[in-house]
Amino acid sequence: MPERVDRDGTPAYRFLGVEVTRREAAFLVLGVVFLFVIPDIASLSDSLQLSVIHQGLLFGFAAVGLNLLLRHTKLTSFGHAAFFGTGAYATAVLARYAGVQSVGLLLLGAIAAATVMAAIIGVLSLRHTGLYFALLTLAFGQLLYAIALGQSALGGSDGLPIRPGPANQPLLFGTAFSPDVYQVLTYYLTVVVILIGLFVMYRITQSPFRNALDAIGQERTRARFIGLPVRRYVWAAFVISGIYGGVAGGLYAVVRQYVRPEGTLFFLRSGDILFMTILGGFRTLVGPLIGGVVLIFLQDVGQDITQYYEFLTGVVLLILVYGFPRGIVGSLRSGGIVNTRLGELRREPSVLSAWGRSAAQSLERKVTEAMTSLRIILFGVD
Amino acid sequence: MAVTPTAALVQTLNGIQFGFILFMIASGLTVILGILDVLNLAHGELFSLGAYTAIGVFGFIIGIIGPPGGGVVGTAVFVLAVLAAVLVTAAILLPVGTLFEAVFLRQIYDRDQVYQLVLTFALLLILLDVKKFIWGDSSIRTDAVYSAINTIPTSELVGLNYPTYNVFVILVGSAVVVGLFWFFERTKTGRIIRATAIDREMATAIGVSTDRVFTLVFALGAFLAGFAGAMAVPPTSATLEMGTNPLVLSFVVIVIGGLGSLRGAFVGALLVGVIRSWMITLYPPGEIAAPFAIMALILLVKPEGLFGTWGETA
Repeated sequence: MPERVDRDGTPAYRFLGVEVTRREAAFLVLGVVFLFVIPDIASLSDSLQLSVIHQGLLFGFAAVGLNLLLRHTKLTSFGHAAFFGTGAYATAVLARYAGVQSVGLLLLGAIAAATVMAAIIGVLSLRHTGLYFALLTLAFGQLLYAIALGQSALGGSDGLPIRPGPANQPLLFGTAFSPDVYQVLTYYLTVVVILIGLFVMYRITQSPFRNALDAIGQERTRARFIGLPVRRYVWAAFVISGIYGGVAGGLYAVVRQYVRPEGTLFFLRSGDILFMTILGGFRTLVGPLIGGVVLIFLQDVGQDITQYYEFLTGVVLLILVYGFPRGIVGSLRSGGIVNTRLGELRREPSVLSAWGRSAAQSLERKVTEAMTSLRIILFGVD
Repeated sequence: MAVTPTAALVQTLNGIQFGFILFMIASGLTVILGILDVLNLAHGELFSLGAYTAIGVFGFIIGIIGPPGGGVVGTAVFVLAVLAAVLVTAAILLPVGTLFEAVFLRQIYDRDQVYQLVLTFALLLILLDVKKFIWGDSSIRTDAVYSAINTIPTSELVGLNYPTYNVFVILVGSAVVVGLFWFFERTKTGRIIRATAIDREMATAIGVSTDRVFTLVFALGAFLAGFAGAMAVPPTSATLEMGTNPLVLSFVVIVIGGLGSLRGAFVGALLVGVIRSWMITLYPPGEIAAPFAIMALILLVKPEGLFGTWGETA
């Protein structure tokens, strides 16, 4: 049962090690309820598709794993699709060649494969930090993509179906369901897995392990001097983050019942996963998840509107980098830019025109600066 | 499979030819990485932008001078025209690189590195669709250059049947390599760039404008990528995805050669090119995996790469 504790003077509740204030608890419950009613909302509206939200949640879940590395150890992995794809392909191979039908077993296989893959890639790429690390993870991810593309046993560019057994579909609780019911049930499975995953991640971020990772992220040499086993810890964090990717990939395969290299292993997917993390706000726990849903939704809408949706994504990225570097959740939370601005607006509505002016001015200043530096670079200072 | 000496020679030459193309891409990437500390994910797109532009420039120039005339003079004029077209293409990419650096990257050097990655990724996506907008979805190609240059006899003189265009690429590539090393070893600008790579603060203190060096380096990288694109496109066709593979292989080259090392990039590029092309005859499925296998081996044995970091020597 929840237990009342006092946190800096405000009453808070502690349950299973999660400590929240009343306000946060309300948000939490609201969020969970919202996750569970999405299939009903989606069935009411045409523009909102359950499969899109579902896919967003899955990629977002992989981004939650990536965030462990990015947020605490300051390592930018640009190859997280490798683990997503490993999970997905492990599921497909188990279903196709071993005839495994149970969803639970398929997911366990995905976890095992992603763990092994993360362990190997981690050993090889964690010898370096910074951009070198990003480059290495990207290269290994592309290697897996190339292997999946080249091996006929893995289906080449056509991919593999996940339709084991006489039911032609993975079995939940040993039963085959009709496609519609299957979609909704796997969605609930995803929600449960995500909640467990977020809970585990929360506990990790409350543990001494996280502090050790923070220390390593800030100053490696110093962390080594105070006796932290830097390499082992970073490797452990890498494997954990890979497992999140593997689970997400396994679920993706189970839900889609089809995996292709393009959709799971390609390096643009790695970029997507990194982008989701930044978009949602990489200094927050749930940010990457929200970033995932928003990004996949935007891409889906973009694909309907124009064939140039990569361009749109790129522009959104640019706005993000220059305007909102803290991401959606980071900008919305108390003290974030949106809340501060809303507070000002409530106090003094006329501030709006001042903002418009200052925004225009700063844009103008940026452009002038860029043009000046361009001129100086080309023609020198005169 | 029995491999005849001729086949082995042809594959080796193919590998060297690809290695030179790869070097032109990887050298720009590695110098940018060594000096700006930015991993330019859009570099592959610059390469493919060069390829697309080159098709237009080739068409334009061949339209002016017409097909190669007979005799030694006509051929020489044609070859020179092709070279000029390649240089024009690369020159078109100079301002692109300058704009990238001065307008976009310059603003965020003091931020977390992840933002620079996201920025270059954004530019990659934007360039991808810009190409789609200008040149359309389907691949485009130009046959005129490849077939015309192949009519010049070179390898046939020593009794080997090998496309002259590939010989041409090897020759031009060698010239680029020599030129680059000369630039970084002998010219004042090259030395300034190397000085900036060794110690940025010291360089600033003795009056080097690092801002200008940064832009110059990025523009140089774009120039080389465009050059590579123009040289690589005649035998094949320009496609929207053509930038990805060279980009990733360049990463492999950089890891093998050592971060920021020009010499390392050269050795790495030739190594990757030749081994990749040997694999095509020996064990085709290994073609893609072989470069990565070398990379993994280097990482285990000599994590800093074959030639360490750049600066003291080019």
